[in-house]
Amino acid sequence: MFMRAWKPWLYLLPALVIYLIVIFVPTLNTLYLSFFKWNGVAPDKTFVGLHNYTNLFLHDTVFGTALKNNLLWVAGSLLFVIGFGLLLALLLNAKLKGRIVFRGVFYFPYVLSGVIVATMWAWMYNPTQGFVNKVLESVGLESWAQAWLADPRTALGAVFIAALWHGIGQPMVLFLAGLQTIPADPYEAAIIDGAKRYQTFWHITLPLLRETFIIVFATTFIAAMKVYDIIYAMTAGGPAESTQVLSSWMYYQTFKFANIGSGSAISMILVLVSMVIIIPYVIFTTRRSHV
Amino acid sequence: MGEQHASPVLVSIRYAVLIVLALLFLVPIVFIVFTALKSNAELASRPFYALPSEPQWGNFAKAWNQGRLSMYIKNTLIICLVKVPLGILIEAFAAYALTRMKFRWSNAMFAFFLVGMMIPMQATLVPLNVFLNKTGLVSTYPGIMLVYLGFGIPFGIFVLRGFFRAIPMELDEAAYIDGCGDFQKFVKVILPLSMPAIATLVIFDFMATWNEFLLAQIFITKDEMKTITTGLLSFKGEHTANYTLMSAGVLISIVPVLAVYLAFQRYFVSGLAGAVKG
Repeated sequence: MFMRAWKPWLYLLPALVIYLIVIFVPTLNTLYLSFFKWNGVAPDKTFVGLHNYTNLFLHDTVFGTALKNNLLWVAGSLLFVIGFGLLLALLLNAKLKGRIVFRGVFYFPYVLSGVIVATMWAWMYNPTQGFVNKVLESVGLESWAQAWLADPRTALGAVFIAALWHGIGQPMVLFLAGLQTIPADPYEAAIIDGAKRYQTFWHITLPLLRETFIIVFATTFIAAMKVYDIIYAMTAGGPAESTQVLSSWMYYQTFKFANIGSGSAISMILVLVSMVIIIPYVIFTTRRSHV
Repeated sequence: MGEQHASPVLVSIRYAVLIVLALLFLVPIVFIVFTALKSNAELASRPFYALPSEPQWGNFAKAWNQGRLSMYIKNTLIICLVKVPLGILIEAFAAYALTRMKFRWSNAMFAFFLVGMMIPMQATLVPLNVFLNKTGLVSTYPGIMLVYLGFGIPFGIFVLRGFFRAIPMELDEAAYIDGCGDFQKFVKVILPLSMPAIATLVIFDFMATWNEFLLAQIFITKDEMKTITTGLLSFKGEHTANYTLMSAGVLISIVPVLAVYLAFQRYFVSGLAGAVKG
């Protein structure tokens, strides 16, 4: 089939131009800015080399908190979001009446925005009239009632529970789809061989869910690395910067304190961490779709 | 199927666990519905679990008008209605070139677009802000749409390319023999066959655009241009102590998403798995 060489480029052009303007060029520009000290308005930028990066790690204590919180958030998400998602999927993977209703209930929060979830849960945690403290009072645990979001010891955990409610439906649906592709034969064979239920789970279900695990792991990890909306809308990084994460601290450094260099360095750290997960993931998915 | 045949006792336990968990999941929703339907006086004086004595529908009208939620929702709707179809069209054109046109650079270009999937939005904000300010696009529909289009492109191309590849090449040859040019082949063969992938993408793109917060927060500074996420946040900031009004506002902003979700639940649940798997 004869085709003029420029023709594919014509079809690619709109996507390519927008992609270059919105993502590619700005990202390179941010990398460049991360080597400068700049307040965003002054005509002159001062080249400082890697100073913005070393300064973050050596002198910015809030960055330390943000990094630690982000890692905790990733660990918590991998453990609880994936764990509960799998548990719900296993519970729903049976011929049950009302299965679709249950699935709908667990998945529904996932379609809401982080801001909505944050607003709902801030009200749940309201110190005087919120559901959590009211319930504690009505069962005689007044002493447990507290200002959940105003105490640095409980704030991050409280936001995380809201995020768990928000995000659990996604791995659940993916696991459910994965479970449905497992044929019945291996289970029947195992039962004939006298295998116990937990053994079939360990030796058949989990290994056959490997692909689903890879997808869920990658998407959960990336989402947890980038967590922003729910934290910003619930605590804005407070109290006393105790719930800052990399994304929110980047926002403050850049748009509140006008430390463009530091903010850019934080974004580049986010890029690096994301690449570690996404590159193998993309290779995995594209290789599979080639077959 | 990995479904196990279990005794009635196990089935009952399974139901019991599911019902308890489902009720727990519904608590925040029920609590906010109760709050939205109460008056502030009733909220303070009667127990939190009491049904609203006289539903205060007026809270919703107040949030809709006074809280300017109508304006935020209108803005978001306009952005979604242009961005989603336009974005998918642009992504489909690109995916078509990458899969159906003999083109030496197609794999390299695909990899180049995929790089965009690993760039967190944060890494683009400052230069984009400078660009949008210089071009006068801050706080405008074209400005925010451009940014949303950009961030949709890598994933859209990823999904559509995966789907287009699965369409047999014989169809192209048949279309070619019938005298179809590239553009006709795209419109008459590839697009109609790709409706399942496009439907999934429409829904996900709509939800992602509707719920987007960070870009809207940075690039929309005028209140009258705000979308529902940033608008709800300023609404919340202005009514910090008015919990009934705030709850009504939250419920209003849930309704459009809930409607889309209930109408297309099938696509959400099956499409998600398909979309992620590529």
